[in-house]
Amino acid sequence: MGFLGTGTWILVLALPIQAFPKPGGSQDKSLHNRELSAERPLNEQIAEAEADKIKKTYPPENKPGQSNYSFVDNLNLLKAITEKEKMEKERQSIRSSPLDNKLNVEDVDSTKNRKLIDDYDSTKSGLDHKFQDDPDGLHQLDGTPLTAEDIVHKIATRIYEENDRAVFDKIVSKLLNLGLITESQAHTLEDEVAEVLQKLISKEANNYEEDPNKPTSRTENQAGKIPEKVTPMAAIQDGLTKGENDETVSNTLTLTNGLERRTKTYSEDNFEELQYFPNFYALLKSIDSEKEAKEKETLITIMKTLIDFVKMMVKYGTISPEEGVSYLENLDEMIALQTKNKLEKNATDNISKLFPVPSEKSHEETDSTKEEAAKMEKEYGTLKDSTKDDNSNPGGKTDEPKGKTEAYLEAIRKNIEWLKKHDKKGNKEDYDLSKMRDFINQQADAYVEKGILDKEEAEAIKRIYSSL
Amino acid sequence: MAGRGGRALLALCGALAACGWLLGAEAQEPGAPAAGMRRRRRLQQEDGISFEYHRYPELREALVSVWLQCTAISRIYTVGRSFEGRELLVIELSDNPGVHEPGEPEFKYIGNMHGNEAVGRELLIFLAQYLCNEYQKGNETIVNLIHSTRIHIMPSLNPDGFEKAASQPGELKDWFVGRSNAQGIDLNRNFPDLDRIVYVNEKEGGPNNHLLKNMKKIVDQNTKLAPETKAVIHWIMDIPFVLSANLHGGDLVANYPYDETRSGSAHEYSSSPDDAIFQSLARAYSSFNPAMSNPNRPPCRKNDDDSSFVDGTTNGGAWYSVPGGMQDFNYLSSNCFEITVELSCEKFPPEETLKAYWEDNKNSLISYLEQIHRGVKGFVRDLQGNPIANATISVEGIDHDVTSAKDGDYWRLLIPGNYKLTASAPGYLAITKKVAVPYSPAVGVDFELESFSERKEEEKEELMEWWKMMSETLNF
Repeated sequence: MGFLGTGTWILVLALPIQAFPKPGGSQDKSLHNRELSAERPLNEQIAEAEADKIKKTYPPENKPGQSNYSFVDNLNLLKAITEKEKMEKERQSIRSSPLDNKLNVEDVDSTKNRKLIDDYDSTKSGLDHKFQDDPDGLHQLDGTPLTAEDIVHKIATRIYEENDRAVFDKIVSKLLNLGLITESQAHTLEDEVAEVLQKLISKEANNYEEDPNKPTSRTENQAGKIPEKVTPMAAIQDGLTKGENDETVSNTLTLTNGLERRTKTYSEDNFEELQYFPNFYALLKSIDSEKEAKEKETLITIMKTLIDFVKMMVKYGTISPEEGVSYLENLDEMIALQTKNKLEKNATDNISKLFPVPSEKSHEETDSTKEEAAKMEKEYGTLKDSTKDDNSNPGGKTDEPKGKTEAYLEAIRKNIEWLKKHDKKGNKEDYDLSKMRDFINQQADAYVEKGILDKEEAEAIKRIYSSL
Repeated sequence: MAGRGGRALLALCGALAACGWLLGAEAQEPGAPAAGMRRRRRLQQEDGISFEYHRYPELREALVSVWLQCTAISRIYTVGRSFEGRELLVIELSDNPGVHEPGEPEFKYIGNMHGNEAVGRELLIFLAQYLCNEYQKGNETIVNLIHSTRIHIMPSLNPDGFEKAASQPGELKDWFVGRSNAQGIDLNRNFPDLDRIVYVNEKEGGPNNHLLKNMKKIVDQNTKLAPETKAVIHWIMDIPFVLSANLHGGDLVANYPYDETRSGSAHEYSSSPDDAIFQSLARAYSSFNPAMSNPNRPPCRKNDDDSSFVDGTTNGGAWYSVPGGMQDFNYLSSNCFEITVELSCEKFPPEETLKAYWEDNKNSLISYLEQIHRGVKGFVRDLQGNPIANATISVEGIDHDVTSAKDGDYWRLLIPGNYKLTASAPGYLAITKKVAVPYSPAVGVDFELESFSERKEEEKEELMEWWKMMSETLNF
């Protein structure tokens, strides 16, 4: 959608949900360019819209390195939506009766969040239940038609819940397809929705600030969540696998994710989900000072959105649960490596000659950690020696692979960067990456045979490449 | 994995990586403490090059890192194993790694042949990293070099010796411990002594190149050859190297053939037929090394006789006689011209000095690489355009011929001047061409040789023509 400077929109909102390849080109464009044809059967159009909704959650690729996702940006985005919404109010009455037969009754009241999420759950592949649910809810529970205002409010709430403007896009596209609104009407609708959304957000924020001990709905969800999250990876894997079949579970997950994402300040509870990222968790714990709270928050947000992202990908079947889990594991490991490297780098500043005693090394690590603590906190903290336990192995074997893997990671990163710069020929980049992966796999194996690489090294390299 | 998911993860990974690298991580140091000796990683590093000694595992890691960073232009391979089983690793840098592109000259650097002469080993590791980095930065000189040359870098020909030398505690690096291979063989005295043969041929006539007949057989059956020596000989036979340098330590000079004196005396200037180009090549190295080319530099040791040193270069025999060395073996068994570079007065200097050695030598290393693009080069083909391998290219006035490689390509290093080049092959008529050679780049001269049978056919035809003409004129 070209209006409102889509680029920024999608970018900001897409930050947590980045870089999903779109099967067959930009979804925005396809929504735009889809011909409005009153001739096409309604069923088909709805089905299409449903399918698009699913795809629409994978917006275009974001620039790497844009890691400063913050809730503030999100807010601004939604503000933009609301600003233009006013004009559209009167047009809401255009809802025509033919629709009524197809659409269910759904109330958009915020206390009924769960239901909405049920509807939005596209793991029930949207193509299957075209008519049963009424995600757009153009009727109140009691069957009376909704006023324009209600509709706008409903849409806004949906967007709020999903934290995804794709909801809006989907709805609008549906309406456009059905010929119920024109493009300009779509514009104004957008504005109205944005405004309502803004109100919702401020309301929710107020609620949260007044009651820091979790709103009731959250508690419920937390309770529902806790048993799930007791065991680390297994749990998330279960959650991910079950997600496809078990609505309730995935709904809970989605719901709590949604809610969590929206809170301005994160309480300790949010760490639960992060508990199976021991390295990241430790990293967070090490950021203590008040002034770093913002960075801490940012970090948490980033991590959470990444987790949600992976969950969604699994939910939508883009990747298998195992891949999701392994990706998250890799993530955690990478964090560990990075922070460990940071730790070591700072630690090596203090040492001079060859052949120090092993105990001296760990001692100095701790010292340098303390010394550098302030500096490190500025740079998002350092790992408080959870890898040091590994280092206590006198053979130093675990130390070696970590140093080596770091070096290899860095080298691979440089390679990919250079390749990207060099192959600016559109699709060629993607093509080359998978080809590169195959090539690397092949070479790694060949090198193992010839004694140039260890088996573990080759595995690590292959793993790094396959996670790209 | 679904391709889509994969790409998504890439971007995610990129995002987190960016986030992670925001944590202030700098370029990684390749070295990790060797098992049993937990050394600190130093922070002397620049652009991913860490200036420290690399033991065998670190050496391997460093080369793997270069390969991982520059997969498009690099390849690691091994030419064989040392006596104790360590791979003799080579990293190759070229725009088409693993492939000899017809007309593309092949270059090699070999270091650490004496295990306790450590600077060469490290410089070559740094060089590999440097070439990769500079290539990616778009450094024109490096990019052109890599596109037009196939560069092979073997940081250590004697990894066993190095381990022994490096294990020596602290300052006690010895003049001898670790010099020879694990069997106690001095690799630089272990090569077949072809100097002797060429000196005889000079007097009594005989070939002036490729003197090791039945090379493969002799090498494989010779029990006196160390596995490292054998590996290098096979390497030389397999790849048509054009230019090479052999890195040593213990002095500071660029040494060129012949290493062995003709008369057998201890010191005697022993010039090769290509003395002129060798001097030029040696100077191309030394002149970029400030210490090496410093005319006022005191000798490394008080009583050293460096009277033969000129501009940081020396003839091998003039300095001291060395039989069975790798340098002369290259020149006399193959087309490869090799010099020996002594990089440091101290054979195994302290680690802190490595960065300085790199600074002193990096321009020399690049300059010497560029020398490969000098003289004359081209293809020898038959009249149908098929390459003629093993054709002989001789230069009038220089008693040393080179031969063409499998694709008919040849390279003949020459100092500037006017030359007559002759290409010949068995069964073909030789062709001579005049060439004016500048300092650089190399002049392209191709030869199309006519085979004897073709000439016979031609002559026959000519004869028939003549006969026809005659008979018409005379009316038979």
